[in-house]
Formats: sequence, structure tokens, C-alpha cells
Amino acid sequence: METIKQDKEQVRWISRSAPYLLGVSVLVITPLFLDTYGQGLMTRFLIFAFFAMSFNIVFGYAGLLSLGHAAFFGAGGYTVALLKLHYDVNLFWITAPLGMLVAAFIAALFGIIALRASGIYFLLITFALGQMLYSLAWNVKWLNSKGMQGITGISFPDLGIAVLTLDTISFYYVVLIVFVLSSALLYRLTISPFGLSLEGIREGELRMEAIGYNTWFLKYVAFVVSGAFAGLAGVLFVYYNFFISPNHLGIATSFLPMVMAIMGGLGTFLGPVVGAGVFIFVENYASILSPQRWPLVLGTLFVLTIMFAKEGIGVYLWRLWTKWSHYFGSVKN
Amino acid sequence: MEALKIDGLSKQFGGVDAVNNVSFTVNVGERLAIIGPNGAGKTTMFNLINGQLSPTSGRIHFFGQDVTALPPHRRAHLGQARAFQAISLLQKLTVLQNTLLTINGTNPHRFVIFRPMKKFEDVLQKAVDILKRIHLLEKQDESVSNLSYGEQRRLEIGLGLSMDPKMLLLDEPSAGLTKEESAEIISIIKSLKTGITVLIVDHDMDMVFEVADRILVLHYGQLIADGNPEQIQTDQRVREIYMGVEDAVDYAGTT
Repeated sequence: METIKQDKEQVRWISRSAPYLLGVSVLVITPLFLDTYGQGLMTRFLIFAFFAMSFNIVFGYAGLLSLGHAAFFGAGGYTVALLKLHYDVNLFWITAPLGMLVAAFIAALFGIIALRASGIYFLLITFALGQMLYSLAWNVKWLNSKGMQGITGISFPDLGIAVLTLDTISFYYVVLIVFVLSSALLYRLTISPFGLSLEGIREGELRMEAIGYNTWFLKYVAFVVSGAFAGLAGVLFVYYNFFISPNHLGIATSFLPMVMAIMGGLGTFLGPVVGAGVFIFVENYASILSPQRWPLVLGTLFVLTIMFAKEGIGVYLWRLWTKWSHYFGSVKN
Repeated sequence: MEALKIDGLSKQFGGVDAVNNVSFTVNVGERLAIIGPNGAGKTTMFNLINGQLSPTSGRIHFFGQDVTALPPHRRAHLGQARAFQAISLLQKLTVLQNTLLTINGTNPHRFVIFRPMKKFEDVLQKAVDILKRIHLLEKQDESVSNLSYGEQRRLEIGLGLSMDPKMLLLDEPSAGLTKEESAEIISIIKSLKTGITVLIVDHDMDMVFEVADRILVLHYGQLIADGNPEQIQTDQRVREIYMGVEDAVDYAGTT
């Protein structure tokens, strides 16, 4: 009896962790066999996966639909770009924390205004605030490279290690490390009492108030933390993209994490990562196939997801896997 | 000692007086029921006491402290717990998660960000104890939406109690329940410690007359009667109000 139980535990452990192990090894090994284009694509995927994850904290967990999340993403990115443009600072250990800090600061400011409202009004206010930064970036000279819209001339970050100059592949691994460490932090957050109370707020804010939660404060903290991590995603993005424009602060960019999180699985921790994966790779290959009509492909996919895998592709795949692993691996007794 | 003191309380919704200049006090340990026909302002009254709404005028004192301006979560910390009327449990979360959230609500560690919930063993233990007491332990991992209506009500009241409240507000605790389920709820209310003050709003007169020491009657936002169950049963105005509305036999008790 005892051994059967142990075997069962073991099988369950293996079948549970197999998808994660597979995912991690794909992330670690495949870039070695790709050309720089493929490596860049993987980098892009990680950055947006992380952006979507940070967005998911507010939308998926706390139930607040923010349409201005690009403001924080862009704020992180612009911080890096401006440090390079005006002060020639490119040391990662300075630019990244500063980028996060600026993003968190802006989130703290926006949060005070936007969180006075809820539901559709919250959405509209975050949208308006985001667009405000967007137009600021268009119109203020200091926020642009000479003679153009946006900031160019950015390169891979300096890690402060003399022998190490980054190239596409080594930058990918830097992003991977940052991604793994920060998402571990975010994961800890989601399983903490704080994370649970965010889910409680999503399910019923009035009740949460009645049982003793200052829901405004909890939402505010979630908003600022999420903003800071979105800022970090923006920092990495600028180092990947070498260029930032006002569009990265605006509504077009705000939509991305939302679509990714919904496609992958709202309110699940890894759903947005799956969503980002599907989005980035489909976007890439669809735009190669049809340079003009690729949004049509993405749109169709989005609609199909909503129709047939409402809870998200990530959740759907996970269900499929638990079903299969049941056939392969279960010990009969 | 007074647990609750309501002083000239009014609430208007765009010109309509939902609650109109109501004053009363509730002593510690009292079982007080508020009754009245639909639209009499009972739930509004509860929302005012609990802080979900703020009054147009008047004051509310809770154990001697003026709480009129305090938000609901602050009142919860002072010892008010409320079981809601419409099922307001967090439907997509599990029974255990609901319980944990309720325990955390009045506990400083609800702000902890980087320590997993699983590591708070004392909280988990307390949750298990509560669920045992209301016979829902074996359903701890079910999401609330999978529970029967009666089970949800039981959980709701059990959770209210888990806050160790000084005052428990029960908003229609027996609405939509079968006779047996109602009886179970009544026995839970009766088994409460005498130190806990209980306020009940309900349509179910059997329940009200069984558990209440004292009954207030609201009509169009005004307090029209205040007394023990016998007094209320024989009160002429109360009989008039109920007579035309619904089953007079049940309400007036005698005719």
C-alpha cells in the first residue's frame, strides 16, 4: 500500500512538473541553436511575457482593467533612453532600478487619481492618463532625439563587468535571468495573504471591506507594484529594441498585455506567458506570410480563443496535459 | 452598557427618505430584530450601521465611539461583523480561501506580501476549526459556487462568527432556506455567546420571534414600534401595516 502511494506521489510530481521542466529547458537551450533573428524574437517574447505578467496582477488578480499600462512600460523605457541620451549613463545596475523607480512613481501618482473610480471609469481614467504621457512625449523636445520622434542610439546595457560585452545571445540570457528572478518575486506575491486578498477584491469588494480590508490601499499597492514591474519590462524592451517612441506609451502598447493575458489565461500565474508566446510568435510568422494582413490572423486567433478556450490557451493546454498524463502515468491499484 | 447608539439617523436617496430620523440604542448582548414591509428601509439601516452607506444626517456610536464617518473596514476592526443578504461570498474562490480571507481581515499579516499563505499555520488551523464547527470541512477545496444555498448561508454566518465580533449583523439569515436549514441557522444564532450583540433583519417571523429579545418595526423609513415580541404582536399599528400586506395570521399571531 505504502509503496503504491509513494509511486503515485512520484508520478504525480513528475506529471505536474514536466511542463515546467520542458518550458525552462526550451528557454535555456533553444536560443543556442537559433540565428540572431530567432534569439531576438525569444528576447521579445520574454519581455512581453513579463509585461503581461505584471499587468495580470492588476487585471487578472485584483480585477482592475487598466488601459494605461503602457505608461509604466514606456516610463521605464524612456528613463533608460534619456539617461543614455542626456547623461551617457548605460550601466544596467543604475538604469534598471531607476527605470523601475520612475515607473513606480508614475503609477503611484496615477493610482491616486484613477483608483478613486472603479470599473469602466477606472479604465477611462487610466487610458486618459496614459495618453497624456504619450502626447507629452510627442511635444517635449527634451524627450526626443534631435530631429525626430523618439530616442535612438541606444545599445545593449553595460553590466559593469570589463570582460563582458553583450551581444544578442548574451543579452537574451540577461533578460532570461531578470525574467526568472522577477517572476519568482511576483509568484511569491500571488500566493501570499496579500495576493489572496487581491483575488478577494476581484470577487467581491464590498464583502472584503466588510470583513476588514482597506481595499483601496490594497489595490493601490498592487497598482504601484505592477507599475514598477511593467517599468522593468520597458527597461529591457529599450535595450532590446534600441529605440523608443511615443507609441510605446500609448494605447496601442497598452492593448498588448491585455490581449496576451486574456489569450493565455487571466488570473492564472503563467497564463500571460503562454499568451505572450502565442501572440509574439504568431505575430512574427503572420507578418512574414502577409506583411499587410497579419493583424487579421491575430484577431481571428483572439476570437477563436474567446470562443473555444474562454479561460485562456494556457489553462486549456494545462487541462489537456493533466488529461494525457493521466493516461500515461497513472499507477493502477 | 450600550453596544450601539443610533441618534437621529436619516438617509435620503434623491429626495426619498429611505431612513427618516430614527433613534434607538442596543445593549450589549441583546438580540435585536428589525422588521418591516419591503422598502421599509431595513437594509438601508444595516448599510448605515455597517458603513456601506453614509447617512445624510445623524450619528452612530459603537461602544461609545462615534463611528459615523468611519469606512466599513475600520468598523470591522472595531468588532462589527456582517453576514450579507444576497449571497455575497467570493463565489469563484474555495471555501478555505473564503475562510482564510475572513480570518486575515482583522489581522495585521493581511499586508504580508512575500510570505506564502501556506506558511501561516495558526491561521490555517483556525480556518480548519471554523469549518469543522459548521460542518463544511470536507468541502474546503470546493469553490463556493458549488455549494448548496443552505451551505452557503451556513458558511456566511460561520465566517461572520470567525471574526470574533462584538456585534453581528445578520441580513435575512433565513431567506430562501428550507424549514430544516432555517432551524439549523436558528440553533447557530441561539448558541452564540451571550456577550455578542446580534442585529437581525428578516422576513421570516418565526425566526424573528424565536431568537429576538426585542423588535423594532420600520415603516417607510420611520421607527413605528419598539418592544419585546409580545408587545409587537399585539401592537395595533404593526397589525395594521402587516394586515393589508401579507399573511396577517403569521405576523400578528392572534387573529
